[in-house]
Amino acid sequence: MTAAALADSGTPGASGARGVRARRRALLRAALLVAPALAMVAIFIVVPAVMSMGGTFFVGGKPSLANYQDFFGNPQSVQNLRFTVGVTLISVGILLVAGLTIALYLRFSHTRLVGAIQILALFPLFVPSIVASFALIRFLGPAGWVPTLLRLVGITAYQTPYLHASGAVIGLVWQELPMTVLMLMAGLAQVSNRSIEAARDCGAGSTTIFVHIVLPQIFRSVVVAGCIGFLDIIGSFTVPYILGPAAPQMMSIYMQRSFSELHRAAASETQATVTFLVCILVGAIYTAFVFRDSVDNAELAK
Amino acid sequence: MSIAPLAGPLPRASRDALGGAVLLVALILFIAAPLVGVLLWAFAEQWRPPAALPTQWGFKYWYMLLARADVQQSFPLSLTLASIVTALSAVICLPAAYALARLDFPGRRLILLSFITAHAFPRFPLYVSIAVIFLSLGLIGTAPAVVAVQLVFSMLYMIWIPTAAFRGVDRRLEEAARDVGASHLTVLVRITLPQVAPAIGAALLLTFMNAFYEVEGALLVGIPDIRTLPIVMLSLITGQMIVQYGAVLSAMLWVPSLILLIFARRMFDSRTFAAGVTT
Repeated sequence: MTAAALADSGTPGASGARGVRARRRALLRAALLVAPALAMVAIFIVVPAVMSMGGTFFVGGKPSLANYQDFFGNPQSVQNLRFTVGVTLISVGILLVAGLTIALYLRFSHTRLVGAIQILALFPLFVPSIVASFALIRFLGPAGWVPTLLRLVGITAYQTPYLHASGAVIGLVWQELPMTVLMLMAGLAQVSNRSIEAARDCGAGSTTIFVHIVLPQIFRSVVVAGCIGFLDIIGSFTVPYILGPAAPQMMSIYMQRSFSELHRAAASETQATVTFLVCILVGAIYTAFVFRDSVDNAELAK
Repeated sequence: MSIAPLAGPLPRASRDALGGAVLLVALILFIAAPLVGVLLWAFAEQWRPPAALPTQWGFKYWYMLLARADVQQSFPLSLTLASIVTALSAVICLPAAYALARLDFPGRRLILLSFITAHAFPRFPLYVSIAVIFLSLGLIGTAPAVVAVQLVFSMLYMIWIPTAAFRGVDRRLEEAARDVGASHLTVLVRITLPQVAPAIGAALLLTFMNAFYEVEGALLVGIPDIRTLPIVMLSLITGQMIVQYGAVLSAMLWVPSLILLIFARRMFDSRTFAAGVTT
């Protein structure tokens, strides 16, 4: 019997000193396996985040709210923050509607188009954000393919989203769509055909079935998909940097400029902390939901 | 993914096909068309707005781009950095993935929770926090700083996808091998690893690709001294120089992605991939 199997059984069955020693050995082995990854998380995620959050409340070694007075006293900062939250919420809303439409089709349709739709919807997963952003400039930009083709059919009223908020939203939705679709697909895979057939036999229409049968069963997936979309988008840089407006800016771009161009590290840290705080609720919901799911999965795997 | 057919009357089928066609056209226009446009630009020697398609084709800009010093320097640099990140990520994360999937130990749930929480942080603000620390350590503009930042977010792929794969391993095969006298190592190498190899392969490729194309971390902690290929491309795009440069770089940068896509097609169908990416 292996140490792992002993640890797995985890019961007092293996009694006596031998059992205790084996369990201790199993624990040591698990600790050694997990330690490097855990250290990475501690050193590169927990420590920097805590230092930023804590550090910004001190100026010159003394507790002070000066960094935050600077941030919230500056109309530009506040405007950027509102812009960021707005762009993020709008993008997540579009993502959920588009993602649900695609995932529902993939789950319940049985036409030959399913394969092609799936490949296209997941394709952006394999396109680097910088390539995607460049592609969208060449497509939707003022000299892009879309206005060129529209002009050929006589439409000249085209207004480019490039360098506008809508450009950032389009790019972010483009980039994030596969994640949303994958997560909703995983949720929809759990919905049983039988419950839907039963409802249909009772004469329920598609809308009724969706609202009363499907939606309650995939509610968790929808919440997790929304949270991941929110966190990914609010923490994104490349797409809004290339496609979005110069002012107001997404917080990431604001931070990058403060740090790299203006060399104001404290200001960029304050901006980062404000963004962390905006994300706390979403992050907590995400963590709670995913944690319960992965514990459930682990129990199922046994 | 398995699509279980739903028993339904025929009229639904045509409605189904119509809906699918609309969805497909929308996705072709939104997802595929911009990418096709880039490919056209990469081989266009001349393409002026009134023309729907390039008026002159050729490889002129490929030669011009490849002759640029910044491209020649950044390409091997990007390859090296991405390889280092991928190797480190595998060494650090795979043991943890194995332990999380297969061993039951006190604190396992807490560790699971901490890995999940790590992903609940928005990415760029976290880069900024790391960059501020690196700044005080004098690490800005060094290769280790870029590797460290890129490593942090590769953990998403290197922990979850292999964890899901290790969980899916058929334990009866391992027990059978052990019953006939195979050692731990033999079982791991001959029975367990072959079963998880496709998932680990996908995780390695995804990690490499993400490190290779990574812009944010490299921009924040790499410049001015460490300029990876995507950073060169960023300056070529935002500098409003020759359009084809960006297009050629896109086409070039993309080849590994396409290989990955073909490789991962099988992954799309397996639940492992979805489970790995979504949890």
